[in-house]
Amino acid sequence: MAEKEKSVWLELWSLFFSKTWPMWIGGILLAGLNVCLFLVKSPWGGSGTYISWGENLYQTLGIMHIPALKNIITHPYGLLGLLTLLGAFSGALLGKEFALRIPPFGEIGKGFIGGILMALGSTMGIGCTIGGFLSGWASLSGGAIVLALGLLIGSYFALRYLLWEMEALPKLSSGKSVTWLAAKGKVGIWQPILGVIVILFLLIFFGQHYKDNNVLAMFALIGLVMGLILQRSRFCIVRAFREPFMTGESEAPIGIMAALIVGLFGFAIIKYMGIGTATPGAARNLALTWIYPHFWLRALIGGLIFGVGMTIAGGCAVGALWRTGEGQVKLWFAVLGFMLMAPVSKKFIVPGFAALLPDWAKQKIFLPDYVGYWGAVLIFIILILLWYGFVKWNERTGKFSAI
Amino acid sequence: MDVKVDQQLDCKGLSCPMPILKLAKEIKGMDSGQVLELLGTDPGSKSDVPKWCDKTGNELLGTDEEGGVYKFYIRKN
Repeated sequence: MAEKEKSVWLELWSLFFSKTWPMWIGGILLAGLNVCLFLVKSPWGGSGTYISWGENLYQTLGIMHIPALKNIITHPYGLLGLLTLLGAFSGALLGKEFALRIPPFGEIGKGFIGGILMALGSTMGIGCTIGGFLSGWASLSGGAIVLALGLLIGSYFALRYLLWEMEALPKLSSGKSVTWLAAKGKVGIWQPILGVIVILFLLIFFGQHYKDNNVLAMFALIGLVMGLILQRSRFCIVRAFREPFMTGESEAPIGIMAALIVGLFGFAIIKYMGIGTATPGAARNLALTWIYPHFWLRALIGGLIFGVGMTIAGGCAVGALWRTGEGQVKLWFAVLGFMLMAPVSKKFIVPGFAALLPDWAKQKIFLPDYVGYWGAVLIFIILILLWYGFVKWNERTGKFSAI
Repeated sequence: MDVKVDQQLDCKGLSCPMPILKLAKEIKGMDSGQVLELLGTDPGSKSDVPKWCDKTGNELLGTDEEGGVYKFYIRKN
């Protein structure tokens, strides 16, 4: 009996944690949770986390003074990102994949610089791969289409750089590395046990802490689950943009397309129905959720810089968070660079630059205003199908793939 | 893994995509039939390396894991 029960639990563990999940399953689940976040308060985003963390750091150090600053667990996105990181940490522990992986020195530098570029790109383009692109397409934003184009161009050039770097500066990515705390043999069972303890602790702590604040309680819970899913499915937007130019594989782009389709329908329904609003004015505000004044040049420049940064760092705003939770030290430095630069860029660099741009370069475009909801959804579905066609054709022919 | 290794490629500590980029470069410089041992610590490699081998027609002879280090044995086609 005891033996049988054990095998049942082992089976359950193997089902979820012994293998990586297909990325499209991660995509569908994450998009469903993104719709939940929108219903709770506002959609999923990554760069808000870094601005919150960075501002809190500068405030604590006395370098910046930001009036009415919320601490990182009271700011919805500061909290969401923290729980995403911890959820990924738990996911890695449960799958016995956690270890501190300290890369050669040059890689640490690339992580840090990539983080800085992502901070500049996301404040310039208004949004990152998650808030600007994934949630932006779902929001039926015209600017989000241009942002994606910028991300694509940026990741293409950064990949060319990485290929060049391997030939010209091989020392950057070779040399001494250290791996600590990996799960070894039978003793490695400490990882899944600790994973369960961490999850229980977080659920109890935040459940108790936010028993009178539904919104933050839900952001904490959804962040935790998202972190787990991100790590288990290795959901990666960098790969979606980069892979056609690298190996040509279609798994990552298709995973992201699955997330886009689910998000698109969920968001369109919420906006079209004005769910949770009582007046036409409130419904209009809801419809304009995450439609930013960045069409088109501002989104293009921001997306391009972000695309370069994420490809050099090896993870976007959210990808850096879950890989940090998994123990990849290169991405710790991406997180550090991102949070150090984001508040500075938002306050001192981008406003001056954005003021120089003419009005046509930074418009707010909500596509249903021009082509109706049906037309807008159709535009995005056509874009996704064209992207799918390109990715699949390229996978077979290898026309655009470097390796 | 009981196989004669001709070359070793150390990708320990490296994050995606560096192990795959280095693997592609290393294999390019090898002769057909030679065996490469790839060492890495990125959990993503566990699925990336087999997929890459599959796609490029190089033969993945076997994999191993030892204390958080993933080992892949690849024969160039």
